[in-house]
Amino acid sequence: IEKAQALHGGRSYRTADLARLMYDEALTAQEVLRRWKGEVEHAEDEDKDDESGDSDDGGFFQKSKAETEEDIEDRHIPAFNYDDLAAKWSVEENIELLRQRFTTATLNGGDGN
Amino acid sequence: MSTKPEFVRLTGHRSFAQRLVLATLTGRPVHISKIRPNSPTHPGLAPHEVSFLRLLEAVTNGSSMQISYTGTTITYQPGLITGAVPGYTSADGDLIEHVVPAGCARGVSYFLLPLCLLAPFAKAHMNVRFSGPGVITSATEAGDLSVDTFRTAILPLYDLFGIPALRVELKVLQRSCSGPRGTGGAGVVELRFASQVRLPRTLHLNRGPGRVKRVRGVAYATGVSASNNARMIHAAREVLNPFVSDIHIAAQYDQAPLVADPGEKAGSKRRMGIGFGLSLVAESSAVGVIYSADVVAPSKGGEIPEDIGKKCAYQLLESIDQGGCVSRAAAGTILTLMAMGSEDIGRVRLGKDIIGTEEVIELARDLKKFGASSWGLRDVEDDDSGDLLVAVRGIGVGNVGKKVA
Repeated sequence: IEKAQALHGGRSYRTADLARLMYDEALTAQEVLRRWKGEVEHAEDEDKDDESGDSDDGGFFQKSKAETEEDIEDRHIPAFNYDDLAAKWSVEENIELLRQRFTTATLNGGDGN
Repeated sequence: MSTKPEFVRLTGHRSFAQRLVLATLTGRPVHISKIRPNSPTHPGLAPHEVSFLRLLEAVTNGSSMQISYTGTTITYQPGLITGAVPGYTSADGDLIEHVVPAGCARGVSYFLLPLCLLAPFAKAHMNVRFSGPGVITSATEAGDLSVDTFRTAILPLYDLFGIPALRVELKVLQRSCSGPRGTGGAGVVELRFASQVRLPRTLHLNRGPGRVKRVRGVAYATGVSASNNARMIHAAREVLNPFVSDIHIAAQYDQAPLVADPGEKAGSKRRMGIGFGLSLVAESSAVGVIYSADVVAPSKGGEIPEDIGKKCAYQLLESIDQGGCVSRAAAGTILTLMAMGSEDIGRVRLGKDIIGTEEVIELARDLKKFGASSWGLRDVEDDDSGDLLVAVRGIGVGNVGKKVA
């Protein structure tokens, strides 16, 4: 696995990767996504930190970790951080980019669907 | 059925309703274990999941389910999807009454989404009325859609599969929000799903997603001042006006449902399920491309309507920004119906952040376990949007009821 990571380290969001990872039952869906998005090295470091923390503090933290995993329920509307969204959509560049997805943009050189 | 098919073995509590729907559609028995086994306070099935099982039992014939003593393991043998058969599944007329008990924190769309996946494959019309103290018609903090979004953003998608949405009626007889302690409700919702088909049509939603041409929405205030509606609408328009001029948001004010209060003296009543929220839907110039957003006031209060309106508008922008032809809320419905279609390859264009969600990955895996073929993935090459083309092969299960009849 390390070899594979080294091979396409840095490159993320590759469709072929997702097609390969998606049905790999050895990974949880969360891990699949982390690998696909190329966050995996970073995430593994975090995991190691967590584990060392667990051994220091006995079983207590392990339990709370399991609890947060349990707390995740199915959502149809994702939980957004609205402060981030507000910040994102107050930047003029982002607004201009998204404007291309609206019919009002046809006047500024769009192809007019 | 001469040979008993093998149990499909799954673990975990996630995608519970989705998995039972797949089991029912494909007719394969399912065994789900490890449902919240480590939770110290609420191990096993949650109230909304038990209620969904009861609903499943009501709309099918011959299903059997066994829940273990702790509720952490369940086996389910699906029966035929019958729908509402007068005198058999429904006591009065052609309507199944489903009472959601108090303590259910999920919105009614938690039940409507999977039920509508079953409905096209039912033998008779699927007419279900949801009532009881647990029915929440608004969006919820648990991430459910509001009935307004469900009606305007999910139901029209059935048209794409040759399932006429014109013959699907969703009546909200009594609105309700989740109320001050998050367990409100007492709404009444009636679904009449009269378009049963033999097989859903193969979907080809692989063209560009078009451009958003208009935004529609519903602001609802239940049991609180109607001025909240105007304030939410105003704030949402402030954000959306630079993008699109064709914005119409309806304001819906209702009284909160009146229920008997056993705590006080006999015969006394109280209002429950008060609250307010906003549902926004953006329609694209391409047929069947709809983005939606839903925000509701949190049950603990402390948020002003302007914030709700803004949040909802931002959520809508984010949903449009994610791209693809299918929004995240609709992805499950679209992909499941595609998998149930005829044995032909349908294509759909999804944004990276839509297919890159745990729900969609889990759905792909579950579908494969239930006998569907793997999805084919490939990049969209026409433009630089970075969207993915997902090819889904139907398994041609279709409507068993129609086949026999």
